[in-house]
Order: sequence, then structure tokens, then C-alpha cells
Amino acid sequence: MTNIVVLVKQVPDTYSERKLAETDHTLDRESADAVLDEINERAVEEALKIKEAGEGEVTVLCVGPDRATDAIRKALSMGADKAIHVSDEALHGSDILATAKVIAAAIGKVEGVDLVIAGNESSDGGAGAVPALLAELLGMPQLTYAHHVSVEGSAIKVDRETADEGITHLEANLPAVVSVTEKINEPRYPSFKGIMAAKKKPVETLTVADLGLDAGEVGLDNAWSTVSEAAPKPPRTAGEKVEDDGDGGTKIAEYLVGQKLI
Amino acid sequence: MNNFTETEERQALRKAVYDFGSKYGHEYYLKIAREGGHTNELWDEAGKLGYMGVAVPEEYDGGGGGIGDLAAVCEELCAAGTPLLLMVVSPAICGTVIARYGTEEQKQHWLPRFATGEVRMAFAITEPDAGSNSHKITTTARQDGDDWVLNGQKVFISGVDEAEAVLVVGRTEDAKTGKLKPALFIVPTDAPGFEAQDIPMDIVSADKQFTLFFDNVRLPANALVGESTDTALLQLFAGLNPERIMGAAFSLGLARLALNKATEYAKTRNVWGAPIGSHQGIAHPLAQIKVEIELAKLMTQKAAALYEAGDDMGAGEAANMAKYAAAEAAVHAVDQAVHTHGGNGLATEYGLGAMIAAVRVGRIAPVSREMILNFVAQHSLDLPKSY
Repeated sequence: MTNIVVLVKQVPDTYSERKLAETDHTLDRESADAVLDEINERAVEEALKIKEAGEGEVTVLCVGPDRATDAIRKALSMGADKAIHVSDEALHGSDILATAKVIAAAIGKVEGVDLVIAGNESSDGGAGAVPALLAELLGMPQLTYAHHVSVEGSAIKVDRETADEGITHLEANLPAVVSVTEKINEPRYPSFKGIMAAKKKPVETLTVADLGLDAGEVGLDNAWSTVSEAAPKPPRTAGEKVEDDGDGGTKIAEYLVGQKLI
Repeated sequence: MNNFTETEERQALRKAVYDFGSKYGHEYYLKIAREGGHTNELWDEAGKLGYMGVAVPEEYDGGGGGIGDLAAVCEELCAAGTPLLLMVVSPAICGTVIARYGTEEQKQHWLPRFATGEVRMAFAITEPDAGSNSHKITTTARQDGDDWVLNGQKVFISGVDEAEAVLVVGRTEDAKTGKLKPALFIVPTDAPGFEAQDIPMDIVSADKQFTLFFDNVRLPANALVGESTDTALLQLFAGLNPERIMGAAFSLGLARLALNKATEYAKTRNVWGAPIGSHQGIAHPLAQIKVEIELAKLMTQKAAALYEAGDDMGAGEAANMAKYAAAEAAVHAVDQAVHTHGGNGLATEYGLGAMIAAVRVGRIAPVSREMILNFVAQHSLDLPKSY
């Protein structure tokens, strides 16, 4: 039986206009529709596939404000068994170090974890470092940027794919931390029965204090990095028009050379 | 409905179905429809996710939800550009009639497969010489030993080529009085003597229309829905409210699809330095359509809630009004969406021209706008009957 914890995060929908709050430059969660980050759907899907191939239990773990219950519910409706929701005002503005600490402490509440699956990076913060930090804190091997995962007994094999290094074959003993890329799978849609069952599945809500952490270790005031200024992306400017007088190809090449693209 | 917010589960269902439909999308649907194909993979995948069987009772492996859930699925698929016309017929009418009045054997045989969407069943009531006047139905079943022998003709029957069987509304001679009374039969589409001819239609749809001929179609005793013909009239009425609620949901989804296309276009199309949506000549008609859609949706939800609460008469009035309002909203929405797009509104690429005839169907079927107004005049206003 594989005991899996999947990390899920609620993020602003990438289709909506995303912005930072004017007061403290943290994410303005009210300005956009909140959804379960798509990469987390893939992480949940991978966990469910491992569970369905043998035996297992899938716990989703979410750190986020109260309304993140919607993202948790989505993961449960896909088929996860239960959830842990760490919600605490003190967490507002936490950096990745604090976030990883909180997640590590929450994973400590689940007995006998074999595998932690995360998305490689969120579509809002996008630091892409939480899985690695978490593995260090938990003392587990990290197998990141997975586009293929297989669990064989007490071992896990991962094909890691990055733009710089190509494909690397990784292998480790469980327990381990895996992060997946968007190539890993196509997440399932929640079935009607899954949707109806989701509300009845147990969701344990924890605060920072419940995790044995000090509020002084988390939150905006204790972050190692600060955002001093933020400006919206400048609007797209009109493109350059090239008239094709038979030398259109040459002009395009010249433009690309000018941009140092070729 | 005790308040005006749908349950969390209903909202999650809508979201899941809309996302699922969007994976296929309107372009996929139109391509298949224009090629004369069927959206089988869409139907099958939706079926496996339990979306086609949301209203089938749990003891037959269904979702155990109600007509409101099924209507939500229907509406969201239409809004995503992937209308499944047979939802109005197969799970909503046939599934409901069998679940409420079928014999245990019929339930065991059909319902688990309605639950998974594995089976599709067409529904045949309209006849060339009867139209909306179901008293004039002439398709007749004669008892021959234990068998039934069916003769007659039906017209404008949807999706018969995709269906394993057709639920046929016919008549049979009452043993005691000798009078003809209604009877519903499940007729396999491969039965000898059964013939379906497709009717060429100027509608871009992945589901075709058929004329049916029954020429001495011999059916076993258990083809009759229920233990006897006594419940036939109740069976018929049991199917009509779900049909209207689903018809309303279908129109609502298409109206949303058209309005979405129009608002997107109005936001992005720039003329004289401003998006055309900033002009009230464009914005107000779209806002009006939003109002129409929301009103029709509210009435559809009311009809579903009353039906689920067992108030068939109350549901009948609401379902008729919802179907009327939703069809009008859809026709207005598509017309205004075409207009908002200018010439592009009729360009194949935008898929709106194809919707003109598709939403027009909602004013005619499953019951015409005028028949609904007759119902409202007679039952809601207590005016004298006109026909």
C-alpha cells in the first residue's frame, strides 16, 4: 500500500487578469477567479494512477486561506481520499522557506508517508523550489521535473526532463518527494459520483500552532525576500510591419538577427 | 430550491461538465456535424464520468441525482459548444419513464446502461397527421398471443441511428371497452419491419432526424412499458416535464454559448480606437440577453426543483414557461451575436450562422411556442380553451 500525499495550491485562474495587492505586494486573491492549479491536477492524477495500479491512500495537502477549500474539494472529487488544510491568517505573505516548513510539519501529521507528489512550480508564485526545499526538510530524496513516474515495490523510478539537461533517469527508495511537469499525464475530470462523494470525505483543518510552529517563523514579516515595488506589465505595443517586395524572408531574418534570436 | 444558490455539488458538476465539454469545444462539434458524423466519443466519455446517468437511481448504478442535475449537465455541454441532443430524449424521457413505470425486469435491463450512457434510446411520439395532438396518434399495437404487433408511422424522431431502441408512443385496444388507449413500447431498432429514413434538415447537428415506419413489427410481451397499459397516460406525463426542462436547459446552454461569443468579440473587436462593446448600441442588446437568460434559467431551476419535490402540476406550469423563455432567449442571443459580429457573424469560422437554425428548433420542439401559450392561457389564466 502506497501512502501518498499530494500538495495542492489554489491559484488565480491564469485566464483572468492577475495582480498584486497595492498595500503589501502580495497576491491579490480577490481580483481573480481562484482555481486548483492545473499542475496540481496532474499531481493528483499521478497519485490516483499509482493508487489504482495497486493499493494506496491519497491525502491532499493544501496551505491556503479558507476559500482554498474549493481547490481541495476539486482534488477530492477527482478521487483523493482525504485532505489536510493548513489555514491561518499568520501565513499571509509567507515565502517559500516558510511555506516548505509548514508543509513539512503538516506531512509529519500523516503517518507512514511513502510518497509526496507536487507540481514542479505553481502558476502564481512560480518559484519552483518548494519540492526541493521540502525534500531537504523531510530528509527524503527529491526526484523533480518528472514526466514519467513508476513505483516498484519500495523503489521509485522517475524520468526527469528539463530544457537544459534533456532526460535523466532517476531512481530512489521510498519515501521520496516527486515533482511533476505538465507532460506527466492528462488529469481526469471529476465524475458525478466523485463530486457527490467529495463533501463527505474528511478534511482536517490545522493552524500554524497545531503544527507546532511559531508564528514568528512564517508570514510576510518573516519572509527572507521582500517586494519593494511592483508595476503592471506594459501593454503590448504594435508590431513592426514588413512589406514583402519579394525580399520578405530576408527582412524577417534581419529582424530576428537584430533581436539576437538567430 | 430554498434559496437562489445551487448546492456546492451542483456548482462543481456544472464546472466539471463545462471544462469537459470545452476540451472538445464548438469547433469539434461543428466539424463532426458538417461531416454528417456523430459525437460518440464525447457521449461515451461523458457517460463513463457518470454525467449521462446523474438522474438514474443509485440502486441501478446511477448518480442518484435529479432532473436538475441532468439539466445542468445538458446546459453546460451546450454552453461549451458541444450540445448532445439525445440527452433530452434518452436519459431524460426514456430513463425517467422506465425508472418510474418500468417493470423490475425492464429496470434491471436498461437502467444500469442508462447510468453509464452505454445505451441511447430515442423517443417517438410525433406523427405526420397528429402533430401536437396526441389524441390522434394512429400507431397501433394489436395483441397476438403473448406478442404485440405494431403498425404505424412517426416523424421528426431524433437520433434513431444512434439508438439501440426507440420508446414508441402507440395505442392499443382496451380489452374491456374496445376503445383505443395509449401504450408505450420499447422497440429495438433492429426489429424486423422497423424502418428509419433520415429527413434531410437544414440544421448543422450531429444528431439526425428520422421518419419511422412500423410494418407489422412483432414485439415480445415485455416490450410494453410497465405491467399493463393502465399506467400509459401517467408514463407519458412523467416524461413530458423532464422533456421541457431539458429543452429549456438545451436552449439556455446555446444562448450562453452565443452570448459568450458575442461578448468576447465585442471586447476585442476595435473600430475607431475603441472596442465595439463600449458602444451602447452593442452593449445594451447583449445586456438584455443576459437578463433574458438569467430569468429563463431561474424558471428552469424552479421547474426542476418542483418536479423533484413531486409537484407535477406546479412543475408543469414552470417547465412550460421555462421552455418558452429559454427558447426565446436563445433565438435572441444568436440573432444578436450574429449582429454583433457583423459579416463575421455569418462566416463559417465563427460558427454562429450554424446556430441560427439550431436555436430556432427550441421554438418548435418538443412543443411549439403556441401550444405553451395555450397551456398558460388555459391553466394559468383560466381562459376558455381555444381548440
